[in-house]
Amino acid sequence: MMIHYRFLLEELRYGGKQVITFVICVALSIATLTALNSFRRDVHGSLIDEARELQGGDIIIHAHQPISDKLQLAVDSLAQQNYLKQQKTFEFYTVVLSEIKDSSLLSSIKAVESAYPFFGTITLTSGLQLGEALEPGTVVVAQEVLDRLDRAIGDRLIIGDVAFTIADVVAFESMRPVSFLSFGPRIFISMTDLDQLGLLGRGSRVEHELLLQLSEPGDAEDITKILSASAVPRVERVETAASARSRVRTFFDNLLFFLSCISILTLMLSGIGMQGSLSAILYQKQKVIAVTKAFGASNRFLLTQYLIMVSFMGAFGSLIGIGLGYTIKRLFPLLLGDLVPQGVGYAFHPADTLEGIVLGILVVTVFTLLPLHRLGTVKPVMIFRHETGAAKRQAAPIITGIICSLFLSLLVIRQIDDVKIGIFFVLGLVLLIATVSLTASACLWLLKRAPLPTLALRQAAKSLYRPGNASRSIIVTLTSAISVLLVIFLLKLNLFATFIESYPENAPNLFCIDIQQDQKDLFQAVVGEEVLLFPVIRARLLSINDQPIDPVQERERKTDNLGREFNLTYRENLLDDEIIIGGNSLFEGTERLPPGVVALSVLDSIAEIGEIELDDRMRFNIQGVEIEAQVTSIRSRTESRLYPFFYFVFEPATLEAAPQTFFSAIHLPRELIPDMITAIVAQLPNVSTINVADVADRFGQLMKRLSVVITFFASFSIMAGCLILISTIFATRLDRIRETVYYKVLGADSNFVLLVLTCEHAMLALFSSIMAVIFAEVAAWLICTTVFNIVYQPHWYVAGLTVVCSIVLVIMIGLTSSFGIIQQRPAVYLRQQNGT
Amino acid sequence: MSDPILRAAHISKHYTIGERRAIVLNDISMQLEAGEFAVISGASGSGKTTLLTVLSGLDKPSNGRVWLDTQDITDFDENRLAPLRNRLIGFVFQAFHLVPSLTSMENIMFPAELNRDPDATEKASQLLHRVGLWEQRHNRPEQLSGGEKQRVAICRALINNPQLVFADEPTGNLDSENSREVVELLLELQQEFNTTLLLATHSSEISDRADRVLSLHDGRLVDNGYRQ
Repeated sequence: MMIHYRFLLEELRYGGKQVITFVICVALSIATLTALNSFRRDVHGSLIDEARELQGGDIIIHAHQPISDKLQLAVDSLAQQNYLKQQKTFEFYTVVLSEIKDSSLLSSIKAVESAYPFFGTITLTSGLQLGEALEPGTVVVAQEVLDRLDRAIGDRLIIGDVAFTIADVVAFESMRPVSFLSFGPRIFISMTDLDQLGLLGRGSRVEHELLLQLSEPGDAEDITKILSASAVPRVERVETAASARSRVRTFFDNLLFFLSCISILTLMLSGIGMQGSLSAILYQKQKVIAVTKAFGASNRFLLTQYLIMVSFMGAFGSLIGIGLGYTIKRLFPLLLGDLVPQGVGYAFHPADTLEGIVLGILVVTVFTLLPLHRLGTVKPVMIFRHETGAAKRQAAPIITGIICSLFLSLLVIRQIDDVKIGIFFVLGLVLLIATVSLTASACLWLLKRAPLPTLALRQAAKSLYRPGNASRSIIVTLTSAISVLLVIFLLKLNLFATFIESYPENAPNLFCIDIQQDQKDLFQAVVGEEVLLFPVIRARLLSINDQPIDPVQERERKTDNLGREFNLTYRENLLDDEIIIGGNSLFEGTERLPPGVVALSVLDSIAEIGEIELDDRMRFNIQGVEIEAQVTSIRSRTESRLYPFFYFVFEPATLEAAPQTFFSAIHLPRELIPDMITAIVAQLPNVSTINVADVADRFGQLMKRLSVVITFFASFSIMAGCLILISTIFATRLDRIRETVYYKVLGADSNFVLLVLTCEHAMLALFSSIMAVIFAEVAAWLICTTVFNIVYQPHWYVAGLTVVCSIVLVIMIGLTSSFGIIQQRPAVYLRQQNGT
Repeated sequence: MSDPILRAAHISKHYTIGERRAIVLNDISMQLEAGEFAVISGASGSGKTTLLTVLSGLDKPSNGRVWLDTQDITDFDENRLAPLRNRLIGFVFQAFHLVPSLTSMENIMFPAELNRDPDATEKASQLLHRVGLWEQRHNRPEQLSGGEKQRVAICRALINNPQLVFADEPTGNLDSENSREVVELLLELQQEFNTTLLLATHSSEISDRADRVLSLHDGRLVDNGYRQ
């Protein structure tokens, strides 16, 4: 293999801006993915590899009711045989009061035994162990409790019926790596104090956990199987620490999944940019290649030289990409703030660097196949040709397209770790690109035939068909990138508009749950007005049309699942924000139901998830009693807002006698809510209250932060789109110079040339942004109406602003990159053409 | 005698290539009368094309001055030269230099459209008929033969009825048959449009038909073509 170093050096030196564009494209293609994967490894390291520290045991038994005797016996039996040690925890939300009952705070109470936890760390500011600090009658609280209630260590707090002394403050809790998924700060109490609280009444939302520490951690799977056999199906969950899915893990899996999709889009767009800039380099070198061939250089020789050149540029780009990835990762704390789990580091490991290099090699190889293949199509006769003919149709682009798609599919499957979703993602991407591509072709076809009013516009339109102009590629790229950004922005706006900004003035903003039957009158008295109380009956869905619900499978759903515990209710009428969309009335035809079958009205959103239709049969377990119901109507909500709704509504006669609690939604002036919560909890300590206005604020803050993170990643796609535009301008630089010279020779001034270039780029941006707006509006509408079930507002002013900003951005990039072209003097070009 | 349409005084042109200074034109003075057909002749490398580009304002002389229709264009910038090129001058090149993305018709119309001439289409159509290329009006340059391209280029040069046409080796890329046809056409149209034609060539056949032949040798004007 002959390597001509001087030739290579000269090619690199004279490649100029195209070489730089290529290197930036390589860097951009791997930077976000490398940073993201490095962060993912850290998060997984923190949340999964140290699962025992996160979960607090080797095996976790979880239930929303006391652990069944059968399961407890099985655990005790294994404990007696020294296979394991066990400890219980109870966790629930309640409102705590300051001792003088002047302030209150919704908090997450965790009752623990003295040895808690088996694994993981709870660091107290005093330096004591939790077991040492937490004595009966005391609490250990998060700093937020002290801050928000304006209390200090030694002060007292009221939880339920009992006053506790604040003994210490939690500085770090490995079982609670993030706080943003919780409604309130942590308060630890001793297990011995739990019964005195008086909060664990009927219908209380208490999470019962049994943490097991194994003598042989390797036995976790086997012991889990043994215990699962004794567990109440669908009620008690027995999981190993590694398999237990925490909300934190689900959140990060979803966030990283989404960011991965955006990063792959960036990689693909950068790949197209890479292809464009290499094509530009080789297009410029066409004559050199032709001359080299005329003097006997073989295709193999040239391929070797350019392959080495590409490898060098790729390696350099990869190094920059790895460096950029490292920088992006260092920005994560700034971007994610308190979303990042405690204990997650920001170091860049050798594995991250290795991944960057491998990814760089693969990306460069896949996306430079086509331009390098075209080296073989350059013939020595091109030395004598001045004008470029139409390119012949060849199989190479199709084969390269297939290789690129395969590479992307494998990459997506690896990133997303889900073959089905991976294939859907790639198919979606291909469909999007194909649709945009076809629409772009149609637009360009129409433009070709449109009677444009001015010469500059006509010339600009003609320029879009310039050989090698890649107008369609630019439109596809810009459309894809702008679409992604706009969809994110529109979703954010719609979620904000629905849940935060347009929350009706008189809508309920304080939810009270777990009101007992005998507390109804007292509750009304404390609130001071007649309020609607919704009965709540806890139940599980067993089957639909005799098809059993598989809780394990259901938990895999990304939407709500049918395996969880549901809140049923009963009433005779529709609520103000409900309409019937299936059937004629809530319980039509009840009299025709067979004996033992009751009528049921189902909300459309859960009907969609479970594919439930009218007349379907559903079997429920209501605290040990099974009932069979037939769907007599399907309801829908007319307003998307934070207002109580029930998936399943029965006739009063069916559930009136069932064990139940009550739920109430109250509207109060916002400033009065804290006092009302304090008053309710002081009189009814077991009643849990949710300050919806507060929740909406927290939701808004979370949305804003997520939006910043996603926009940050999506902006790399826009950068890739801009690079494609720049690489295309470079690729067609000679043609543009020639046109400019011709215009000038024929009497056009620089303003005319500038106007033509401006119009050309404006047309590209206009097509791209209008298509992006259409795609984004459709996509955001689909997501809002099908995933979030909220009313969609198109926010046309945002769409308009997107179009304007895109046009300005593309024109700026286009003109900046074309500056040398506009300045071109005709004589210089003509002299070069004459070879003098 | 009327004012000359083109006048050059003591023009020189030199390039610096590396450390070497190449003198392409050396102290050339000349003028051209309206309606005249003049040829610049000389061997390859004698400076014919450079002289043509300097006289037409496409390039600037290193020294000396150039007047076009009484205007001293030597120091004109590109934007001041643009309207002169559009209305006063037409160009025909050896390599045709047609805009590849435009059809024959569009290429011819282009200078008239720049001039905001409402009759651009009509004039282009007449010219296409005149040169026998009406059928090829929708063809792009790549779909035309060399002779056809040059005929389109001639039409483009003449559409604004310029006072002066510069032609640089217009037959250099053509076979003898096409060369003859193109020269005939050029001369016929020069008569019809009553324009001045300055043509650079080393073809003695074309030189023989010129009113005047300016001979260049190593960048110097050795004969200004006036009969002594």
